[in-house]
Amino acid sequence: MSVMATTGDIILEGVDLKKHFGSGGLLSSPTVVRAVDGVSLDIRRGETFAIVGESGCGKSTLGRLLLRLIEPTAGDVRYEGRSILKLSKGELRRLRRELQIIFQDPYASLNPRMNVGDIIAEPIWLHNLASGSAKRDRVADLMRTVGLLPTHADRYPHEFSGGQRQRIGIARALAGDPKLIVGDEPVSALDVSIQAQIINLLEDLKDRFGLTLVIVAHDLAVIRHMSDRVAVMYLGEIMELSETDALFDNPLHPYTQALLAAIPIPSPSSRQPKALLQGDVPSPAAPPSGCRFHTRCPHARPVCKEQHPALEAAPDGRRVACHFWREIQGAGAGSISAPPPSAALAKRLALYQTWRERQDKPVATSS
Amino acid sequence: MVHEAARRPITEIHHPSNAALDSERPLLSVQGLSIRFDGAPKDVNVVDDVSFSVRKGKTLCIVGESGCGKSVTSLALMGLLPTPPARIVAGSATFDGQNLLTLTERERADLRGDRMAMIFQEPMTSLNPAFTIGDQIAEGIVRHRKVSKAEAMERALDMLKKVRIPAPEKRLRAYPHEMSGGMRQRVMIAMALANDPELLIADEPTTALDVTIQAQILTLIKRLQEETGTAMILITHDLGVVAEVADEVAVMYAGHVVESGPVEAIFEDPQHPYTIGLMGSVPSLGRRQGRLATIRGTVPPAELMPKGCRFTPRCPFSDARCGNELPPLGEIRPGHLARCWYAPVEQKRGAAA
Repeated sequence: MSVMATTGDIILEGVDLKKHFGSGGLLSSPTVVRAVDGVSLDIRRGETFAIVGESGCGKSTLGRLLLRLIEPTAGDVRYEGRSILKLSKGELRRLRRELQIIFQDPYASLNPRMNVGDIIAEPIWLHNLASGSAKRDRVADLMRTVGLLPTHADRYPHEFSGGQRQRIGIARALAGDPKLIVGDEPVSALDVSIQAQIINLLEDLKDRFGLTLVIVAHDLAVIRHMSDRVAVMYLGEIMELSETDALFDNPLHPYTQALLAAIPIPSPSSRQPKALLQGDVPSPAAPPSGCRFHTRCPHARPVCKEQHPALEAAPDGRRVACHFWREIQGAGAGSISAPPPSAALAKRLALYQTWRERQDKPVATSS
Repeated sequence: MVHEAARRPITEIHHPSNAALDSERPLLSVQGLSIRFDGAPKDVNVVDDVSFSVRKGKTLCIVGESGCGKSVTSLALMGLLPTPPARIVAGSATFDGQNLLTLTERERADLRGDRMAMIFQEPMTSLNPAFTIGDQIAEGIVRHRKVSKAEAMERALDMLKKVRIPAPEKRLRAYPHEMSGGMRQRVMIAMALANDPELLIADEPTTALDVTIQAQILTLIKRLQEETGTAMILITHDLGVVAEVADEVAVMYAGHVVESGPVEAIFEDPQHPYTIGLMGSVPSLGRRQGRLATIRGTVPPAELMPKGCRFTPRCPFSDARCGNELPPLGEIRPGHLARCWYAPVEQKRGAAA
């Protein structure tokens, strides 16, 4: 996976991005929610980049900022080295073809009054890519690509299951031949077995069309499986940015350590008491001073309350925003170790996979 | 219990090494529970021949995906299933010697919130936005105990302390919207445990919560369970949660229990193809090992449900027999049951090329 991602080739870049939402004013004093507060990141061509964090950390807002679906309060977004904030309407429309998004709730993001064929065809006629029978062929082709039956093109979204609706959303995102797709929690509304189908589909499509994926998610197991690099967000800021395996093997930031420690491990034999993070995420309308994590951080010291830590460089191209990451790293907390499956499970899984492949052969696209 | 066991296989777990535990009757024993929805095709029950049991102080996890009947089962036990459209067509649920399913509505209401309590997934929609937290906890106490309002409020305050809510005196007078999701779920737990129930049913109690808050709530539930000896049925779709808290597990698929047994057996020696597929579908937390195993397709709609094993159309190992004849919940090892003709698969399906 990571072979394709060469360090120098940046496809999308966020520079000191800020998004502040204002509210109140008439009867109450205005409060400003700093949803994204000074985030810089580069996304390399061909990689899968994950943005992870808990609710309210600003990860979805960041995903939308990167596509200019919302306008940033400050900062810049550069696609292929060019700022996308000053584009004209026509240029922006062309850009929309290349940058696409898949939403979390596949039902809410599909027009219930359009049939699936029209939903998928819409980007094709919007961008004048094809018309008439060529368009119909293209739609049928896309439906086959994502594992839907082309004969279902005249059905409506409510006639499909959640997983199939997500496939429709993916087909629509693919319709304009995108270069980069942002997936905003693309699998979190789905059942486990369906989730696995969609994850595999996204990976296949990425390989086949040479896509760059940006996955916004909260499920760390999904992220470990799918992504090459991860940015961990907390209250509108990046706490740590690292290659995926390095992050999971040796988390540097205490928040990353706490996040990893909180994941339930699917192995009853490795139950152990956990060091738990106390309290809730503070309101992004009134973030704590200094390091935003200091109110919940087990390693916090007085300086954390006063000084805001910069996202500084750590070895292996990693970056971490913590005053004391060097010392904390030595504390040995956090690295996650899931025991391998038992011999019986491994054997049956292998057998399951063998029979599963055979099951797929007669009909290429099942669900 | 002995004659019951002879009638049909039950998920009762025997510990040959522990005679004292073995002689203890389960607190709740569900036998052959079948529930039908009006309007569903003939012979397709939304919950079909479901059996399981829970002991005092133990946790049973019912795991399955949407539509498998896990929530319907729990609502039926609590007597919260609306009839019509739902009808219990067969089975019994013995709670401490009495069959829950034959009680009058009045008797059920006396039980509910007192000896049996329930926690729901969405704490915001289960709390009344117009009443304070204290009022809502006290309401259940006044309903079941001969106490004054003031005493009930005192008890409510104790409960808030017990679930480790910071500044409990202040929270007693707070409204649900003033609290975070994790805090609201703590309030739900305080409410459910206010009358020291013997059985707690938790339906996806942490699904709506962030992972750090989920860890807090699971730890809290476990600790309270140790303190009070409450038996728990935890309904979830998250195998990680199951591995963390369960003593016993029942895996449900499309209304059937397809596999059940002690938690170690389910994770280390899973038998049913659905259980195996489910485990292969979950990304590992270790280093990446190739593609995920998937389960083909989706759960069929009721009118296309096969007569036999309901997993047939999605199962890689299935053949014509599976679709026509329902396999029994066969015993793999004492206490570990699987509803599959071909379990264990490496013996019955391993050689075929």
